[in-house]
Amino acid sequence: MQFNEILRRLGYLLKRRDQASDLDEEMRLHVELRAAQLSSSGVPTREALDAARRRFGNRTQIAEQSNETWAFNWLDHLAEDLVFAARTLRKSPAFTIVAVATIALGIGLNTAVFSVVNAVMLRDLPVADAGRLVSLWEEMQREPDAFRGKDEEASAGPRRSTVSPANLVDYRKTSSFEGLAGVDNAQMNLTGVGTPERLSGLSVTANFFPLLRVRPMLGRVFTADEDRPGHDDVVLITDELWQRRFGRSTILGSKIMLDARPYQVIGILPPGFLPASELGIDTRVDFYVPAAYAPDLLSDEGRGDHEVNVIGRLKPASSLASARAELKVLSQQLGSRFPRTNKHVTAAIAPLRDDVVRKVRTSLLVLLAAVGLIVLVACLNVANLTLVRSIARNREIAMRIALGASRGRVIRTLLTESLVVAALGCLAGLGLGAALMRLLVVLAPASIPRMESTTLDARVFLTTVAVAFLSGILFGILPAYQITRIDPADSLRSADKNLSGRHQIRWRSALTIAEVGLCTVLLVGAGLLLRSFVAVLNVDLGFQSERILAANIPLPESRYATADQRFRFFEQLEERLRAQPGVLSVAFCNRMPMRGGWGTGINKPDTPNENLDADAQAVNVGYFDTLGIRLLRGRLLTSTDRTGQPLVVVINQELARLFYKDADPIGQSIRRGSDGPWLAIVGVVSDIKRDGKTAKVTPEIYIPAAQTAVYPVRLADLAVRTALDPKQYATEIQRQVWALDPDQPVTNVKTFDEIISTAVAERRFQTLLLCLFAGVAFSLALIGVYGVLSQTVAQRTAELGIRMALGASQSSILGLVLRQAMGLMAAGVVSGLLLALGLSQYMKSLLFGIEPHDWGSYIVAIALLTAVGMVVSLVPARRATSVDPMVALRYE
Amino acid sequence: MTPLNDPRDQIPPGTLDMLILKTLARSGEMHGFEIANTIQLNSEDILQVEEGSLYPALQRMLVKGWLVGEWGKTAENRRARYYRLTARGRTQLNLEIERYHRVTRAIERIVQPA
Repeated sequence: MQFNEILRRLGYLLKRRDQASDLDEEMRLHVELRAAQLSSSGVPTREALDAARRRFGNRTQIAEQSNETWAFNWLDHLAEDLVFAARTLRKSPAFTIVAVATIALGIGLNTAVFSVVNAVMLRDLPVADAGRLVSLWEEMQREPDAFRGKDEEASAGPRRSTVSPANLVDYRKTSSFEGLAGVDNAQMNLTGVGTPERLSGLSVTANFFPLLRVRPMLGRVFTADEDRPGHDDVVLITDELWQRRFGRSTILGSKIMLDARPYQVIGILPPGFLPASELGIDTRVDFYVPAAYAPDLLSDEGRGDHEVNVIGRLKPASSLASARAELKVLSQQLGSRFPRTNKHVTAAIAPLRDDVVRKVRTSLLVLLAAVGLIVLVACLNVANLTLVRSIARNREIAMRIALGASRGRVIRTLLTESLVVAALGCLAGLGLGAALMRLLVVLAPASIPRMESTTLDARVFLTTVAVAFLSGILFGILPAYQITRIDPADSLRSADKNLSGRHQIRWRSALTIAEVGLCTVLLVGAGLLLRSFVAVLNVDLGFQSERILAANIPLPESRYATADQRFRFFEQLEERLRAQPGVLSVAFCNRMPMRGGWGTGINKPDTPNENLDADAQAVNVGYFDTLGIRLLRGRLLTSTDRTGQPLVVVINQELARLFYKDADPIGQSIRRGSDGPWLAIVGVVSDIKRDGKTAKVTPEIYIPAAQTAVYPVRLADLAVRTALDPKQYATEIQRQVWALDPDQPVTNVKTFDEIISTAVAERRFQTLLLCLFAGVAFSLALIGVYGVLSQTVAQRTAELGIRMALGASQSSILGLVLRQAMGLMAAGVVSGLLLALGLSQYMKSLLFGIEPHDWGSYIVAIALLTAVGMVVSLVPARRATSVDPMVALRYE
Repeated sequence: MTPLNDPRDQIPPGTLDMLILKTLARSGEMHGFEIANTIQLNSEDILQVEEGSLYPALQRMLVKGWLVGEWGKTAENRRARYYRLTARGRTQLNLEIERYHRVTRAIERIVQPA
């Protein structure tokens, strides 16, 4: 259809009344002229007019035909259908409200969850041409471990690790990438302006900003020259930090003190660059400093130090596959050139966005699938309602078909009604979805990356509209199809409404069974997550987390260069804190549990070349008491274990098991790496789960913090056990630290209980949502069951009356209805269980402590459905028993 | 519709548009009755337009932009819509005549004895 033609048609549409009378006048003229012609040829006037009319044909039909050539026919019909739909829906407000509300609920949940999925998983990173950005990491094939059983190691695939800067230099030589940039977290103490503050930032290689296509708002980015040790005292700060700490004063070119070293501010980044969450970092980013890798890190000796994150940009000509192939070849070459460090290392890449969100992917997809099921259940429910309603419309439809409406046209009219319901549901659902979306963002744990940018964008909107449209078709098509299969003659002749009703109940039962089935799937899923969650909560961490406040005190290298200096600082701090009323004990070490670890390889004299990965902590004497770690053998560390005294170590039970099996480890020697001094084991303590409830117990060594020569670790974490609420000691710790060093910030002050609760927050969130969704589906399914039973009872009133008149007992009638309910529930539950058995495999990575086929979750789902289903069916069942036979028979 | 004893033939299906276009091409402006009558006269009374069907055809050609219609007065001073060919209508007429000849020739080849 050409544009001009559309214009002509539209013009016609606007003046259609005129056009109709024009045509009428033309036709009248034609007939009159013909009649005149005939009568002039001798036909009598009256007959001439008749003949002329006959020759012309049916004027109404011709007018209609002419009309149809003009109009957008379907548009006309659509408008008619819409008006008709609006009228019928208004006539049955109860149906309309329930149907619209049901659809709105489904659509709303769907929109909310999809908007989160969109923000986290689908949206591009907010930088130019983000599609070509990749994340690069290294995969280490696990070497068989002499101390662990095969099954303990084999379960995990290759271990993912950060990249060694020396390897990064080689990876840059490939032809696939425009560039590869190293990125690492950097925390530095800002001093010299107001209160000292621990800032978090990123240390990046000089090509980081060009790769992300970002220019500073003021100033410039790093030069390659500044990306070298000794020249790296330059910093770019974010607009947010500039505002917060410097009040947007002219700062460009001036120096700020970071970790007691002056850094020149060379640039200020534009506002909004780059939410750290976009890179999967869950802290704020205040500044950027050059990575400036030390020469020994870049030498071949440094290839074993895997410590930086790498992002890169693919050249337009290369693909993920070609880049992977190139990296694989290169990794093999490096492996044969540097077997000691690179033998088992392979570089791997993935699109940056997908990599950032890899940990929450399954979780989000499961939630999305759950809301998808809810939309389906909602559709089934509305289809059910529509079927009930069509009983009442049986005769109306039959009449329309008898009067010549084509079945296609009737189906279209009914579908239009469904689509109007869907459209209203969509509108309400969008509103509900927007509200729920905001709620989700507020409630979501901070560990979900990219979530805070969740909005109702065009993609979410269009998806919602599409889902609503499909729902409308889905719940409209079956009732529409079913109703047009009626033989109009039967339907009009018979006064018996049950004729089609019985046919209908079959359909309604099928729909209800499907609803119960889908609901079973959701209940099982929710049950699995709930049981996993409970299992996680019940995990014993092995240490006491109540009333402990932990803090990080990052002593800068520049002022606390030696291990001795650092130990003395913490020793003094311990003394001051213990003098405070209410402080029961004080612990310090390099990393408190749940706050990271300090991996090291240890070996023993009989197998000096076989290292076992263990966590090493330099701890003070009060450490074990503060955390409630129990002594199992030998003795704990004491205040006499100082530099100059014999070197001692306390190990945990796991290490004792792996190293000495059942033998007594007391008195045995171990050392760190191949060149450490030998340490005598003086005690064995109980295991703790340092990496959280879902982590495995790691082998662990505890070295006296006072024997600083053994192990020059960075003491940094402090914990105090208090008699009362530990939170109130936060300022006290800060005050005592400042009393020792006014330039020293204290960061990350949190109670252990807070840390633990944050660690399970993601699981709690996802479990809560799935339980909620299962609840919604459950309610919808119960409404379905109730509806079908009520309708059956209503339709069988006469039959039930006869049964009772013939002496059937109340309980047998009750049994009759309950048996039907049981049938529905059983069929639904069985089909749902089969579906759930298949689908639960996809949840495997979300479960903890149970298998996807955990029978408990299934039993609970079955029991819940059956029990509540029975209770709901009792209502119509009791109504059936109260049928008065006389009334029932008269009713016929 | 047409009485059996009527000697006039119905016009072959699909050619009504062409006949209307040709008639208008020959005589400039005409109203509906004139078009019907002219076709009948020019075919020496052999072809008869099924009169009613003329009007949907005219409407269709208005939609397509082959014709324009303007209201004017007849000799008897009656209001009537006069139809006129547009440039597109003329092109369409040539297309239809060409097709008509092609089809007729093909049919003749089949019908005529070799």
